[in-house]
Amino acid sequence: MRKRFSSFLKCLAIASVLYSCNSNLPSDVAEAYEQLPEKIDYGFDVKPILSDRCYACHGPDEGSRQAGLRLDDETSAFTALSNGKFPFVKNKPFQSESIKRILSNDPSLIMPTPESKISLTAKEKAIIVKWIEQGAEWKPHWSFVKPEKAALPEVKSQALVQNPIDHFVLQKLEQNKLTLSEKADKTTLLRRVYFDLIGLPPSVEAVNAFLKDESENAFEKVVDALLKSPRFGERWAWDWLDAARYADTNGFQKDPERKMWPWRTWVINAFNNNMPYDQFTIEQLAGDLMPNATTNQIIATAFNRNHSFNGEGGRIVEETRVENVFDRLETTGTIWMGLTFKCTRCHDHKFDPITQKEYFQFYDYFNQTSETGHSESQGMIPPVLDLSSTIDKEELKKLEDYLELLGNEITMIEDKKFKGKIEGVQLSPALQMLSGSALNQLKIDPSERSPYYLKEVISALEKTEPSYTKKIKELSKALNKTRGRARRNLRVMVMDELKEPRTTYILGKGIFDNHLDSVTAGVPAILPPLSADAPNNRLGLAKWLVSKEHPLTARVTVNRYWQAFFRNGLVKTPDDFGLQGSLPTHPELLDWLAVDFIENGWDLKRLFKQIVSSATYQQSSKVSKELYEIDPENKMLARAPRYRLPSWMMRDQALFASGLLKNKIGGKSVKPYQPSGIWEEASFGKQIYKQDHGDNLYRRTLYTFWKRIAGPTMLFDNATRQSCSVKQSLTNSPQHALVTMNDVTYLEAARVIAQNTLTQKTTAKERLDYAFKTITSRYPQEKEAQILQTKLSEFKTDFEDTDTKEVEDFIATGEFPVNKDLNKVDYAAYTTLCSMILNLDETITKQ
Amino acid sequence: MNPIEENYANMTRRSFFSKTALGIGGLALGSLLNPSLLNAATKNSATTGSGIPNNTLPHFVPKAKRVIHLFQNGAPSHVELFDYKPKLRTWHGKQTPSELMNGKKFSTMSSQNNTPILGSIADFSQHGKNGTWISDFMPHTAAIADELCIIKSMHTDHVNHAPAITFFLTGSNLPGRPSTGSWLSYGLGKMTDNLPAFVVLTSLDKQANCGQLFYDYYWGSGFLPSKYQGVKFRGAADPLLYLKDPNGMSREMRRKFLNGVEELNQMNLKDYGDPEIQTRIAQYEMAYQMQVSVPELTDFSDEPQHVLDMYGPNVMKKGSFAYNCLMSRRLIERGTRFVQLMHAGWDQHTNLNTQLKKQCEDTDQPSAALVKDLKQRGLLDDTLVVWGGEFGRTPFLQGNIQDKAHWGRDHHPYAFTTWMAGAGVKPGISYGQTDEFGFNVVENPVHVHDFQATLMHLMGIDHEKFTFKHQGRRFRLTDVHGHVIKDILS
Repeated sequence: MRKRFSSFLKCLAIASVLYSCNSNLPSDVAEAYEQLPEKIDYGFDVKPILSDRCYACHGPDEGSRQAGLRLDDETSAFTALSNGKFPFVKNKPFQSESIKRILSNDPSLIMPTPESKISLTAKEKAIIVKWIEQGAEWKPHWSFVKPEKAALPEVKSQALVQNPIDHFVLQKLEQNKLTLSEKADKTTLLRRVYFDLIGLPPSVEAVNAFLKDESENAFEKVVDALLKSPRFGERWAWDWLDAARYADTNGFQKDPERKMWPWRTWVINAFNNNMPYDQFTIEQLAGDLMPNATTNQIIATAFNRNHSFNGEGGRIVEETRVENVFDRLETTGTIWMGLTFKCTRCHDHKFDPITQKEYFQFYDYFNQTSETGHSESQGMIPPVLDLSSTIDKEELKKLEDYLELLGNEITMIEDKKFKGKIEGVQLSPALQMLSGSALNQLKIDPSERSPYYLKEVISALEKTEPSYTKKIKELSKALNKTRGRARRNLRVMVMDELKEPRTTYILGKGIFDNHLDSVTAGVPAILPPLSADAPNNRLGLAKWLVSKEHPLTARVTVNRYWQAFFRNGLVKTPDDFGLQGSLPTHPELLDWLAVDFIENGWDLKRLFKQIVSSATYQQSSKVSKELYEIDPENKMLARAPRYRLPSWMMRDQALFASGLLKNKIGGKSVKPYQPSGIWEEASFGKQIYKQDHGDNLYRRTLYTFWKRIAGPTMLFDNATRQSCSVKQSLTNSPQHALVTMNDVTYLEAARVIAQNTLTQKTTAKERLDYAFKTITSRYPQEKEAQILQTKLSEFKTDFEDTDTKEVEDFIATGEFPVNKDLNKVDYAAYTTLCSMILNLDETITKQ
Repeated sequence: MNPIEENYANMTRRSFFSKTALGIGGLALGSLLNPSLLNAATKNSATTGSGIPNNTLPHFVPKAKRVIHLFQNGAPSHVELFDYKPKLRTWHGKQTPSELMNGKKFSTMSSQNNTPILGSIADFSQHGKNGTWISDFMPHTAAIADELCIIKSMHTDHVNHAPAITFFLTGSNLPGRPSTGSWLSYGLGKMTDNLPAFVVLTSLDKQANCGQLFYDYYWGSGFLPSKYQGVKFRGAADPLLYLKDPNGMSREMRRKFLNGVEELNQMNLKDYGDPEIQTRIAQYEMAYQMQVSVPELTDFSDEPQHVLDMYGPNVMKKGSFAYNCLMSRRLIERGTRFVQLMHAGWDQHTNLNTQLKKQCEDTDQPSAALVKDLKQRGLLDDTLVVWGGEFGRTPFLQGNIQDKAHWGRDHHPYAFTTWMAGAGVKPGISYGQTDEFGFNVVENPVHVHDFQATLMHLMGIDHEKFTFKHQGRRFRLTDVHGHVIKDILS
């Protein structure tokens, strides 16, 4: 009722003010106008509105452009339309047709149109009006302009500054009458930096040593040690695997296994060796094209073969191949440039200045590998690099040679026997019996055929063509043998380049066989050109991405790594630096870091050290009600971020705290505990999860076998590894709590911590202290200790009343040997208590 | 809603309930997480996410509060089941008219050189007040003809299973978009804290000989926060992964455990002031509620015998279609909003004569029982039941016409049948028509996006307004297409 009345008032007000006094603005817009900052900035204030509400019909995409009006282009926006009206007139809002339209009440005139179901708020209208009044200054989109290092801003609280980052952060805080929070206490800071840099908590010894070390550079020493730790590479490989859509199977139907793990090891080593990010880029995108490419450089290119591969029956192979090329291109666009190329597959981009033609020019770089789209349900699809022993390699070579010979022979026979008859209409009666799939087999090269369908060919033709079917039987056998060997050999899918380039066409609507004009390789015109001496291929492209001239790569990279420490990047959309992406909260800081990153040789360890050495990073994450209300999203960084660990880190932490974690680096994927029946259910009983035993149960989560259609069940809020993903959601579903309470790994870890507690400590207090500190890095406060003690007694009483067999079951969780000397009730009660501590918010949160 | 907004919503809620909500466990939590409040918070997100002042959800009064989607993976043959085409029998063995075939794409599994018409292997008869033709393979469904709104003019863009199923359920053929159930639970929120808003159940044909897998992106949340993804209940001993406490730990002990977790978390909340800790406390409490309520949910012993009998002989067999149908009813009774029951085994390329009937025997009675059961409980008024697959099957034969045992039909995206029953749709009608071969739609076509738009409409949502901004673009379930089929609305 109240609402209706007030809107009635508003209508009255608009009617009365509309053309009164010196204001031509409707009252709500006039009111909003008064609240605007003094100077309106095109890039930060105006363009996001135009892009979000107008470009869909008046933007770069010619196909969907209405009324010939284009608002993303400066010239067009100030030029008269065919009806003689000017969209924008500098300094004269009320002569600008666009203003008339956005302020109109007439449904046939108002913009955006009612049908679009998009509208402008009063504030947004006011911004556009004021911008025009102030001269309608036009600027190119911020992220397409090469970043420059601004001078470090002066700040009042100079005493708080620890490094350049703090200048920028404090400047913004001071503008908003805020400052940094106090420094986090030492233990909290230590845990934070451990999780951030190596993905594991500190050991009790590490905590004690740090607390004891009162030297000036105590923290720096810790940071340096962590940067050198072999665990460092494992931690950073995780995020890279998410982005690179790494998995151990192909995905889709059958979901066969592939062996891409040598690439994972390559990534871990690259991080551990602090390979410069530009080199890291070039080797993964184009290692195969580097002069005298090493085996490692070729392994690196597996990056671009990590996409899933659809070998579903009835698929058209070219469709699969094209989808894989799309994936390579779009993954590259997201990771290095923060560009949403995907929109441009089917039409010109609606928001960013990239045309469909440019998409396919970019596509051409990734279209020149010998991958055909055929999978024959094998995991490893050529081109591959065979890393197995010489004997195994030779064995495979022999089988392949024989297959080729046999294939040629069969092709000759078929040419003679059925020439034209397979493609044509006139099938012999026997061939007519064949299903489409079997018939299709006869159209492709013998070495690519499927023995499954050849069975049908054999049975259909056995009587009429005995000598031919004999050959087909041989072929079938040879195919099985060759593929069996190929599967056993360690062959990694990598990139190569065709000698005879494939012609790339613009694909109409992105449909694989809808060939429009042909195009050659090239980069979007909005970005700088390839350097003159670079080859116009993947290698040239890779070098271009990491050239000093590129406005996006360094920004996107430092932003993504900033996000790894602060949960949100300085640009909140790490995958979209285009016009519709978020604007940077601290644009000058982002640019400063980007330029600094390039100037210092794309050195990631240096960047990380820079971040964790800042006062901004080291402040406390405690938040007052007032501060929370001012900045709930913590955009201004007046406190450290505080958020739950990713699920893989939670699991690693439990393994580490119990001492179960194995330190082995790299190697093939492992199969730890998983509830029974997951794979079986996903594959209709065709694939069975064979859980490992011993050390493989306790490897870091990074090494867990990732079946693409049924990923590891103990993870949550994780990337699906179906396609490139550079930011994971962070949610609180009850099922997450069930995992950390009931998954075998967590329960076993709790039990082993309990066991260690009972065997190493004797008094009740010592035991509580030990268990609590092992998990949380600190001793419990008095009240906490009381709660723990009470709980322990409750659990003991309950277990005393529980059937002995059940207590024994309880402590037998996991395969780690049970300590038979311990009192079972104590053992069980402490296990429960440790599980409780493992589930505390403090334990699973980076504070 | 993003976690930050969620925190914020929580915080405002909390200050509202600060006197009562903390530290009392389940009871107080009931009010802390009052569904309508949660719902209100979720509504905000649908607006703040895009920065555009949309109407809050629902956009208008919904006819349906819940949906049970009986998704028939593999594509049931429309010309054997719901789309009666006597002409197929008179044309049996003759080549399909080339004007029908021209320019059409089929799967690469059938030969396009040889496409004889295959007469329907099933007989049809008329049922209900309007004399609706329904296959004799589906006697139980035929018996509820007066409840059904049969759409015979469905058509889709995709010709292979995974893309077409993904298209039907998420609006795009490629994995990565939110599924319908995710959109709905994101937009409309939960109706209970004890069970997930969006549940997935799967079952197989008895032979399990059909290779169509249940990919988890069929119920994925895409770019929506992952908590909105469908929760798969398994047919195994434990319906929900990790639900069961370890042997030796009693329910009482778990309660004490959680009280301890909460007490310690409360202390940390005082210290840090981060509302996320409050959310964590609620999350663990909800986990406990789920541990309590799921065993009750899955215990059919309180069902009277005559109800069990309705669903047929397999109803007590975990993971069977019948079991899942009854489970669906129990779920929505307890507050789940969207049940996606997926049943595989309809892909009769080479075994139409042997398999189709069996497949019908497995599914016909439970599907009909579900509709009847909902009706007798008054739940059909605000629950929508949907039955159908991802496309239809070719009116022509796949295989050798002499080899009757291996007759089959290939994938057919150009026409298929879906039925709906319950909330908001006209009962006892047929909508749309195909030509006399069941090949193409000739009247009132319903594209998959139209179907999605209609489903959204029934849930009180304008499909064009309900968007989520991701990578700079506003996405919606229906992409940039879809019209509500007004003619079938009651």
